[in-house]
Parts: sequence; C-alpha cells; structure tokens
Amino acid sequence: MLRMQGISKSYGAVHANRAIDLDVAAGRIVGLLGENGSGKTTLMNILFGMVVPDAGTITFKGLGLAGHSPREAIAAGIGMIHQHFMLVPAMTVTENVMLGWEATGRWLRPAAVAARVRSASSAYGLGLDPDARIEMLPLGAQQRVEIVKAVLRGAELLVLDEPTSSLSPPEIAGLLGVLRRLREEGRSVIFISHKLGEVLEICDEVVVLRDGEVAGRAAVAGIGRRELAHMMVGRDVGAPIDRVAHVAGAERLVVADLAVRDAAGIERLSGVSFSVRAGEVLALVGVDGNGQAELAGVIAGVDLPTHGSVFVDGADVTAGGVTARRAAGLAHVPADRGTTGLVAEMTIAENLALRAFDDPPLRRGPWLDADAMDKLARERIAEFAIRTSGPETAARTLSGGNQQKIVLARELGGRPTVLVAEQPTRGLDPGATRFVIDQVLALRAAGGAILYISTELEEALLVADRIGVMYKGRLVGLMPREDVDLSRLGLMMAGALEEHPDAAALYGVRAP
Amino acid sequence: MDAAAELLAAALRIATPLLFAALGGILSERAGVFAVGLEGMMLTGAFAGVIATHALGNAGLGLVASAVGGAFLAAIVAIATVRFCADQMVTGLAVNILALGLTSFLLRGLFGRGEAPIIRVTPLTPVPIPVLGDIPILGPLLFRQPALTYVGLALVVAMFVLLHRTRAGLTLRAVGENPTAAFAGGADPIRVRTLAVLCGGALAGIGGAVLSLQQVGTFTDGMTNGRGYLALAAIIVGRWSPGGALVGCLLFGATDALQLRIQGLRLPVSSYVIQMLPYVVSLAVLAGLGRGARLPAAIGIPFIRDRR
Amino acid sequence: MRLALGRFDALAERAVVGRSFYRAIAWPLLAVVLALGLTALLILFAGKNPLLAYAALVRGAVGSWDRVGVGLNKATPYVLTGVGVALCFRARVINIGGEGQIALGGLAATWIALMFPQAPPVVLPLLALMAGALAGAGWAALAAGIRLRRGVHEVLVTLLLNFVGVLIVSEALQGTLGEPGSGFPQSPLLPGAAWLPHLLPGSDLHVGILIAVMVVVAGHALLWRTPFGFRLRVLGASVPAAAYAGISEPRTVLSVMSLAGALAGLAGGVEVLGVHYRLIDGFSHGFGFNAVAIALLGALNPIAVLPAGLFFGFLETGALAMQRAVGVPTPLVSVIQGLTMIFILSAMGLSARRPKA
Repeated sequence: MLRMQGISKSYGAVHANRAIDLDVAAGRIVGLLGENGSGKTTLMNILFGMVVPDAGTITFKGLGLAGHSPREAIAAGIGMIHQHFMLVPAMTVTENVMLGWEATGRWLRPAAVAARVRSASSAYGLGLDPDARIEMLPLGAQQRVEIVKAVLRGAELLVLDEPTSSLSPPEIAGLLGVLRRLREEGRSVIFISHKLGEVLEICDEVVVLRDGEVAGRAAVAGIGRRELAHMMVGRDVGAPIDRVAHVAGAERLVVADLAVRDAAGIERLSGVSFSVRAGEVLALVGVDGNGQAELAGVIAGVDLPTHGSVFVDGADVTAGGVTARRAAGLAHVPADRGTTGLVAEMTIAENLALRAFDDPPLRRGPWLDADAMDKLARERIAEFAIRTSGPETAARTLSGGNQQKIVLARELGGRPTVLVAEQPTRGLDPGATRFVIDQVLALRAAGGAILYISTELEEALLVADRIGVMYKGRLVGLMPREDVDLSRLGLMMAGALEEHPDAAALYGVRAP
Repeated sequence: MDAAAELLAAALRIATPLLFAALGGILSERAGVFAVGLEGMMLTGAFAGVIATHALGNAGLGLVASAVGGAFLAAIVAIATVRFCADQMVTGLAVNILALGLTSFLLRGLFGRGEAPIIRVTPLTPVPIPVLGDIPILGPLLFRQPALTYVGLALVVAMFVLLHRTRAGLTLRAVGENPTAAFAGGADPIRVRTLAVLCGGALAGIGGAVLSLQQVGTFTDGMTNGRGYLALAAIIVGRWSPGGALVGCLLFGATDALQLRIQGLRLPVSSYVIQMLPYVVSLAVLAGLGRGARLPAAIGIPFIRDRR
Repeated sequence: MRLALGRFDALAERAVVGRSFYRAIAWPLLAVVLALGLTALLILFAGKNPLLAYAALVRGAVGSWDRVGVGLNKATPYVLTGVGVALCFRARVINIGGEGQIALGGLAATWIALMFPQAPPVVLPLLALMAGALAGAGWAALAAGIRLRRGVHEVLVTLLLNFVGVLIVSEALQGTLGEPGSGFPQSPLLPGAAWLPHLLPGSDLHVGILIAVMVVVAGHALLWRTPFGFRLRVLGASVPAAAYAGISEPRTVLSVMSLAGALAGLAGGVEVLGVHYRLIDGFSHGFGFNAVAIALLGALNPIAVLPAGLFFGFLETGALAMQRAVGVPTPLVSVIQGLTMIFILSAMGLSARRPKA
C-alpha cells in the first residue's frame, strides 16, 4: 500500500533521515521503533506532508505523493495522530472533526456530523460525546477524537506517533483493541514508539531506526527483545546501574497537605503529603497531567499553593518563592528544558548563572561580575563534560543532551540538599539519559534528597527507593521499591485503585 | 426621553466608522494576527475615498477605493507579519506611521503646491426608511440613519454567521487558536491569515470612508485621530465577537456624543476634561473587565511550516 | 506561484541570516536604504526630482554647524525616550506611552520653573528636569499598574493614557499655566534661569545632547552589566524561565516602565527648557511612536539608539529644508520612518525563524 524510498532530510548539520526505505502492506500493523532523536517523527511528518523532504519518493496506493501538504495526504487516505494532538482546545469534538473536512460542505451542519461521530464512536468502542469541548476531555479521550477524525475521513493508513505516552495501562489496552479492529477491516497502521514491549505486543512487523537510518527490519514473530534492543541502541545495553542500597537519613523535604486550584477554579492538586529523606530518591509516577506539574511548581517555589506547606530541612519555605528555596538548598530541574530551564538565546555562562545572578560571587555591588561568571562556567563545563566551544556560545546551538547537562550543572553544581527533577530524561538519547541517572544517583549517595517525577515507569524503578503514584492531583499510592507490584501500579495510575499512604509509608518506615 | 433617544441615535451614527474597523479587526485577530494597524488602514481608506470621489464624482466608487486603500495597507501588514514573521504589534504601529505620512504627502503632492488643500465632498445624507422611520424612539434610532450605518449593522449579523455557521469561519477560528492543528487538518494557515488581514483592512478602509465621506465631507491630516485604536479596544471589550464589538463601539460612540452635547451646554467643566471622557471610560471599562477577555490562543504567534 | 514565493523566501532568509557581526549592522542600514529608495519613487510620482530632494535634505540636515546643532537638539528627546523604550522592549513590554509621558514631563518642568523664578541658574533647571522625570515616571507607573493589576495589555493602556496626558496639558494651559491673550495655548515665557545653557555660544545647541549621551551609556551598562538588566533580558526571552529564575515579573515590569517614563519625562523637560522656553500645546506630538521606531532601528541596544535617534533628528531638520527648497512635503519623513521600521521588523522576523542560525 505504501512505499517510501530513499527519504532524506537534514536540519542544518543534523541528519534527521538518511535514505530511508519503508514498505507497508494492507492489513498490517507496522512498528517504527527507535530511541528519541532517531528520526521516526520526522519520517512520518514527511509522509503526512507537514515536512518537505530533501530527497526521496513516496507512493501510496499506486499514486505518487510529492511536495504535498496534509490536505493531499488526507485526501489520499492517510491519517496521522500526532504525539501532541492537533486539536483546537476551545472547540467541541464535532467542530474539530469538521475542521478542514470539505465534504461537510460550505455551510456547517453540526447535527449531521455529530450523528456520524456518534455512530463511528460506537462502532469502534470509542465512547465520545460530540458536544464536549476538547479542553474538558482527558488526554485518552482526546486521542480517541483524533482516531475518529481519521476514520471518518476514510483513512486507510493510520500513523500513530507515540500514542501511549499519555495513556494509563487500561487505556493502552483499549487503544490496542481499536487498532486490532482497524486491521481486521483491512486498514494498516504505522505504530511509532520507543517502547520495545508495546511494539512486540501489537505489531506484525517492526522497522528499527537509529540515528536517522534503518538499523534493521523483522517480523515480530521471529525476534526477541534483546535483538531489538541491540538494533535500537547499536551496542549491547550498557553496564548495569550502580545502585547502593543504604538507609536513608533525616527528612529533608516535607510536604504537608498541598492543594492547588487553578485560575478556572479547578482543583489540580489536593491533600498531597509526603516526605523525602537524605540519601533517598522518591519517584512519583503517573500519566502526564495528573498534577505533577503543579506539584513541582509549588515545591520549587514558582507557584503558591492554595493550601498547605513546604519544608526544607525544617524551614517553612512555602511563601518564600524561589529565593527562599535556593537559600535552603533546593534545586529544580524543570520539565520544559527549552523554554523554562534554559534561555535559548543566552550564552552558556548566562544560563549557568540564571538562578544565582543576584548573589555574590556572581554579583559585585550593583554590577554583574562577568569574570566570575566566566570562571564558574568553565568549571562547570569541565566538571560535567559539556560538549561546546566555550562559555560564550548560545545555548540553543547545543544538542538536547548537552542542554540538559547545563541545567544539571547549574542545579547540582551547588551541592544542593534537595533536588526536584521533572521528567529529566525526556527527549534525550540513551547516552544522555544514562548521564542524568548517574548524576541523580551520585547526589543520592552524597546524602541529597531527590524527588523524581517521571512518566517512564521503567526508569523510575531504576532510580527509586520509594515510588508514589499521582492520579487526578492526589497521591494515591506510596510504597517502597521492594513492594512494587507492576499491575497494581498500573491500576493506580489509571485511578482504579487507591492505596492511601499510612503514616508508616509516609515516612518510609516499614510497618511492623 | 427624546434627548436620550436622540443621543443614542447620534451614538450609533458616530460609532459606525468604529464598527467597520472593529469588524475588520475581528477578522484579523480571530485568525491570529493583531490588528494594531487599524488606525492606518482607516486613514488610508478615508483618504482614498475622498480622493476617488473627488476625481470620479461618484461616492460609490469612492467607497470601493476606500476598501482598496485599506486593503493595500493591510497587504503590507500581511506580507511582513504572516510571511516574514515580523512582530505583529510593532508592525501595526509602523504601518500607522507610514499611513499618516503617506496620506498627508499624497494630499499635498497630488492637489496642493506644498500646502494642504481642502477638498469638499458632499457628505452622504441620512436615508430614512419610510414607515419604520416614524416609530417613536426606535424610529430615529434605527431607521433614520445614513445608509452605511445600516450596512454596518447588517455586517454584524453577517460576520456572526460567517464565523459560526460556515466552514470558512470555522477554519479561520481554528487558525487563530491552533494553526498547526488547522494545518494538520488540511487548511493553509498562511493563506487564511493573509486573506483575513486583507479583508479586515478593506473593512477598516470603508470605516475610514464613513468618517470622511459620510460625516465630515473632506480629508484632513490624521483625521482618524485614534479611532482605529478605539476600535481595538472595542474588540477587546466585546470579547472578539461581532455583537460584543457593536456594544463596545456604541459605548465609545455614546461617550463621544455625550461629550459633544455637554460642550454645547456650557457646563463649568472644561472642554478638555470632557474630551478625555471617551478615553477614560475606555480605560475604566478595560480595567473593569480585566483578565476575563479570552484572546484567540495563537494570536501573535507566527505560523512556520517546517517545524521539527 | 507557491514555488516562486518559496524561493524568494529562501533567498530573503539567506540574505538576512548571514555572518553575525555584519548582520547586526547590515539590516538596519539595508532597511534605511530600501526605505529611501521607495520614497524616491514617491517623490518622482509627486513630480519632483528625488536626487535634488535628497540633496536638499542632506544640506538642511548637516549643511552648516548651525544646522547640525538644530539636528542634535531634535535628536535629543528621541534618544532619551528611545533608550527607555528599548529597555522596555527587551523585557517584552511594549510601551508606547511616550507622547503622554513627555507631555506631562514638560508640564511638570514648566510648573517648577514658574513656581520658583528666583532660584539660581543651575539649580532651577535641575529641579525642573527632575520634576519632569518624576511626572513621566508616575504616568508610566500608572500604566504599568493597570496592566499588572487588571491584565489589560500595555499597548492599549499606554495608548489611551497618551490621549489623556496630552489633554491634561491642554487643560493646564487653559488655566493656571496659560498665557491669556497670546492667541495660542501656551505658557508664559520661562524665567531665564530655567533655560538650559547652550553648548556653543551663538548656536542653538543646548546641553541636552550631553544628557542624552550619558543616558545612552548608562542604559547600555544597565542592560548588559547589572542584575537588573539581566532580569530584563531573561523576562523578555521567556516568561516561564524568568519565574523559574526567581524573577518577579510585576516588580520588573513596574521598574522598567517607570524608568522609561522617567526618561520620557526628562525628554519633555529638556524640550521645554532647551528649545521652546515655554510649554506649548501639542509639543509632544508624535514623539512616542518615533521613539519606538528609534528603539527598533537601534536593535533594542541602548548604544545603537544614539545613531538611530540622530538619524531621525537630522531627517526631520532636513525635511523642512527639503520642503522649502524643492517643494517636497514634510510628511514624507513619516513615510521613510514607517518603511524603515517595516523592513527592519521583517528582517528580525526572518532571522528569528531559523533556530540554528
């Protein structure tokens, strides 16, 4: 059905795609597997017409697609469900479905379209209400709106980009069911993911991308995890993580009864209490959007909670903002590296000084001490092995991994007592991910208390001493690592189960 | 009671230029482009309208010319901001400066010898609708207005229908909220935004013609005197909806009408203080509304196609 | 058609996103040249010879020391206000309240000068200028307050306050500060002690230009060498990053706008005490927008605001001469200014589009 040949695309010095060939037959689910940065999304954006390739041809159902835009791709029968949904939050499901769909006519007939949404929704078990506003729907439902859009427009090839990243385990099962139903109808699916397990579970065949090239192809039936992992990473999976078990010390971060209400009056966080001790990593897992960002915001001092307190080493810093927390030794690695953690157009030296610029030694009287900033920058660059030509280069020229190194260098360089890390490995290649985890564990060994917020369950299990689950703004489970039961965890993440932490779990002490 | 009705009728009349500009601005802003250049587009339209009417002797052609004039300035805005991703707010300001200079320059260059000539055009007269115009109170307010005021009111309804009942309107709104989503859905945000800005400019130009052809009868340097910015304020007051903008424009029209009448009454209050009324009231209204106003989500953010 | 436009786009991008040092100077210069070129076409259209016109322009601007003095005087308020606006823009605060702030600054300076005619000749102008700066700062702070407390966009607030500010001045000139019988709204002539001293005896050039130069240097140091400037730059680059860095947006916005207002008020005082020697209705007309244009022309860098302001100042002096000599109407100046701004903005937009330039 689909044949892509010799697809190449470069962004400046970065080769996102290098002469890639991809074939998809009808009625197949093909997995496109690769680490972050391997070129999967770029390839699919080219297929869908959102990006123009430098070279290569695309043939779909015998017709050539070239220099096209999504409009032509959709007309040909290709549907794409992006990782970040292409929906208008302020509009309803029906309006989003009608958008760009010329067949619904010049004069809008919302009732007719709503009826079609309803019937498609029941045929595929999607459970959608046509009059609901997108911004009110949970992420899983939003994804199903994207699916209904593609199906109603007659998509014969569906491309899903990291579809499970915002879903809880039960929702993932539901999605896979829908995909199987589509396959039975003779439609094909391209399933983009960096998760081995999922690809093996759902796909018929898999194509592995690495560094913009095809590293291997195989039918799922005949291949094992290790071989696939080897293809993805190009070498045997690295040395095991060095994790020394030890007894945690005194409490460094205590969070009591935190609640946050947003501008619209909706409660985003309620009744959250826990503590993190010296030499301990507490990982909070959960699907994105369940209050993790709000929690990190109030702990780090960027936002004020509606209720509750934050203590660092016994001192109440709740109302003290970022300054009080820094003085108390709290470091923060924010989720959004590009716009929050760094100022892209400023130099490395300025970024390293981003939080400390107003205090000596970086500040001398009314002036900034440029020499001190430069000296500090050089020290950190060496200490953290940041690949750059010098402290005066702009941060935006660095790779994702090196950018995260700057953030870490800034936050960890001051030997903090508490670290709040939000999604610290998001979008990083395996080498950079490993670096981050090593740094976190090093801080743990040095006695720091770490709050590690992540959506990646496997990663959390790697670093954590205790694991908590965030669901709809509440902490619904908190347990030591040894007690973790993956299926229970999955259910908690989906909100199907609640284990209210008792006092013992709160303080990490095993109940007798 | 009569005085109040008369005041309202005057308010609507005065508000008409604002209304056209505001409706044009709504098109632009709903599609995601700040309409700061309304002032310049109105001025250019006012100028083009007078010049064309004077040269061709036909007010209808003058109106067409005013739309073209406004669209011409809008084209500059569209190219700079939509195609070259220039900052929308400041480009609007630049275009206003340009329009000021261009119209004054051309006025002198085409007609005077270095001095500002005065071109007189017969102002368009009120068109009373028979029977309906005689209803007490409502009659003078709604049915004895100049022709363009009727057109303006009809335009409010038309714009509402366009935005909410047609595919074009849905696409336009989507481009203003999330252009990438619109693009992924098959629309062309660059084309949509460009068209929206051009049509908006044409409407603003007509608004300028309402001022110069219908109300004043001539063109003078900088005659719009900030009305374009008041139209912007009206859009915000009306929360980017055509009906709301009508209310906003009426508000400003009313304060302006009030101000003129008070001057005639020779109250002990200084005329300058009275002239401040429309601006102070606008500020108060804007401050009172505060953050409630709901901007189109992607406004001010240029759409770039080849994003990774 | 789409392909052709695409190719033009790529060309334009490449022209703009070139070597970084030359790029910094290149596009303001290029913009000016393009603007002058287009305006030449307009002059032709009006039936005049553009070469003669531009020659007259240049002669009128810098043809004699006298003219240079006038040009420097004209540039002074632009430079003063422009530095303030540039600092605001760095923090992404669009402050177009220059006209109102200048007007009120002039008002305050006039009032002080008339209140204390007996004061000695150095003290009086100093006091008056300080009063002007305070008045401008207050007016800008009011705008900032409304923006911060009520969420109204600063463009609208500063714009509307412009009108109000100017009307306040007109009102004052009708009353206590006015000169009845003069046939024009203006204040009485200010006492000689208040007048700004001249730099060169015999010319009109007053010390204002020195103040402007000092402000430019101070502004540059503020932006690049102080924590406050650092805050401005971070806030302007990314609001979430600023919050993360512990920078208080309300405090920073209020500070920078007050500073800009003070500079504008100072400019107003300088105009009154150095050029007109009285408060004249409408003396601040157009200053605010021109200051924005100058800030942009100087790529938001206080140091570059100086040549940009000089450019505008000389442009305006030359324009009057151009009208007298060749008959080309003065509003042409606004055309040049507007076009220059548009070209620069487009170039800035293009260069911002390429993340890995």
